[in-house]
Amino acid sequence: MAERASMADQGTQVSTGMKIVFIVGSLIVAALYFTWLDWALMNMQGLDYFYMFRK
Amino acid sequence: MATVTKQARKKIWALLALGTFTGLLLLPLFLSFPTGASGETAPAASPAKPVEKSRDVWYKNEGPVMGAPAPKTTDGPKDYPRYNFESRVLLWVGLQQHLYYGSFVLAVPIFCMIVEYLGVITKDKALSRKYDQLAYDFVKISLTAYSLTALLGGIVIFTFLTLYPTFFTYLSSIFRPVMATYALLFIAESGTLYIYYYGWDKMREGFLKWVHVSMSVILNVIGTVLMMLANSWIAFMQSPAGVDAEGRYLGNIWHVIHTTLWNPINVHRLLGNMAFGGGVVAAYAAYRFLTAKTDEERAHYDWMGYVAMFIGVCFLIPLPFAGYWLMREVYAYRQQMGITLMGGLLAWLFIIQAVMIGALFLTANYYLWQGMERMRGAERYQKYIKYMVFVLITCFIVWLTPHTIVMTPAELKAMGGQQHPVLGNYGVMSAKNGAINTIITTTVLSFIMYQRANKIPTVRWAPLGNAFLVGLFAMAFINIIWLAIYGYYIPANVRVGLSVPQVASTLSCLFIGVILNSFMLRGAKDTGPIAWGQISVRSQYALIMLATAFTWMMGLMGYIRSSVRLFWHVNEIMRDNSPWAFTHTIGFGANMISFNVLFFWVTILFVFWLGSLGIKKAPVTVPAGQKVPLPASSH
Repeated sequence: MAERASMADQGTQVSTGMKIVFIVGSLIVAALYFTWLDWALMNMQGLDYFYMFRK
Repeated sequence: MATVTKQARKKIWALLALGTFTGLLLLPLFLSFPTGASGETAPAASPAKPVEKSRDVWYKNEGPVMGAPAPKTTDGPKDYPRYNFESRVLLWVGLQQHLYYGSFVLAVPIFCMIVEYLGVITKDKALSRKYDQLAYDFVKISLTAYSLTALLGGIVIFTFLTLYPTFFTYLSSIFRPVMATYALLFIAESGTLYIYYYGWDKMREGFLKWVHVSMSVILNVIGTVLMMLANSWIAFMQSPAGVDAEGRYLGNIWHVIHTTLWNPINVHRLLGNMAFGGGVVAAYAAYRFLTAKTDEERAHYDWMGYVAMFIGVCFLIPLPFAGYWLMREVYAYRQQMGITLMGGLLAWLFIIQAVMIGALFLTANYYLWQGMERMRGAERYQKYIKYMVFVLITCFIVWLTPHTIVMTPAELKAMGGQQHPVLGNYGVMSAKNGAINTIITTTVLSFIMYQRANKIPTVRWAPLGNAFLVGLFAMAFINIIWLAIYGYYIPANVRVGLSVPQVASTLSCLFIGVILNSFMLRGAKDTGPIAWGQISVRSQYALIMLATAFTWMMGLMGYIRSSVRLFWHVNEIMRDNSPWAFTHTIGFGANMISFNVLFFWVTILFVFWLGSLGIKKAPVTVPAGQKVPLPASSH
């Protein structure tokens, strides 16, 4: 069990609070990235990504 | 007088050989530049007789008429001589077998090049030797198959000439310089392959090894060009260019080659061949694993199967995107052709294809999960597998839901329309695009889990990296599903564009996820070596299943692509007036594909057996449970 626990710590220790901050931050960054990607790639095709919200 | 050492002489000869092959490679270009193709011998230029000009059917520019019109054939012994059998079926078998073997011998040298290069750049001598041995094993498998490919090519030409002489004469009149180039390149390919194989031991060390690796690059360049030239013929038949409406050649051979579907077919075929080649080598390794007598042999073939599967799946992942591009171009070329393919006569074959693709991804995931059993520390990830199975199965069901099905009037009435009120919603592209992208992203996740199964990252930023991976995959899944749902609420012309960001989301996970994970695993702590050979027998059957599914799908997609021309030899240019210018039933087509698959596997087993008779070198075996190098940076 102890060995399993040491595996789970992934080699480095951070507090649970910091882990939550990292995950929330990553989710925000990823959400922004994918929204930008959707908009940019639709724009590149001459299409409006926000079509439904504008009409 | 300076003494030329033996080593220096070897270097000179090696450089000369390399120069010769490069020259051979470029020779067809020089030969083809000054001459254009001409269907008929062009009359001597005379100032009194103006050159007739005509308009290209695709490029729409004007060009001098340099060939005869496409012949108007009639059903009879002149245009369609025959045995007491359907000529098209004979040609179908010959072409399919030639394609299977051609794909295999095109793909395997590419693997060989990658693995040999890995061996050269690896600093550890023992690892380097193991890579080298693996590359040698790969090329050895393909060598016998190469002869059979050439033999089958000859059979195909003779079948064409004897059963479809008029059509073949027309096609060869258009593609004369391409066919000559093809033949020259084939000679160059053969020479390079044999020297590459038989020169393996002589060019084992130092500079000569680099020459040997360079030869593999040349070999693969020639092989790829050969494939592209052959593709130009089928692309021309489907979407002709460089000729006028009567089929007369207009003097620009590049237009004839570079038809609108040529590049999508090139990319799709190259990726498909690589995935197929990986599958066949993996199946070979699985067969050897299952029949192995010692743990050492099992360990070696387990590793070989993994590497082949890994390379195959790397090319399988982008394959649906290449297919999507090809279909998009087909729709752009002739909308009716696209509808015949995906919404009409051949649509049910696409449902079968969807089942096969889903089965391929499920099997690849299953193999990776089974493979984790041989790694200590992988238990951490076992608990996630059931959720991944759920996601994969759900998406698989959506992916294969048909838009409409053939029904009796009573069934139609009972269902309340042509589409099921609930399930009908999943039979549209919006849902299917979401499903396949989710399947592929889940496969990437499985691979990342596999990569880190026996590793613990030790880099300082590991917690942040892990959090970023969680964020990336979570948001990618949400984005893919959001775009799929969004597609239901916007018009078709906007909806069709959503597939591009969906694909980009999947590819982001593939590239960012795998690269980030690889960086995180640098200097990672091992939880134990990979116990090669200690894997379930089921996993090896999964490899055989992968290879069979690849083979069946290749046959199916080839049939679909060829059938879409319907009653044309060359679409809208030369009509097929033989008695077989009809589309076969789905059942007949499926039986023919199955026959071709069975025939290929029986003959390739014979080829493998034949190859094993000439074994000169004992494989560098790996003791069971010992670490073996992998192409992925993780192991």
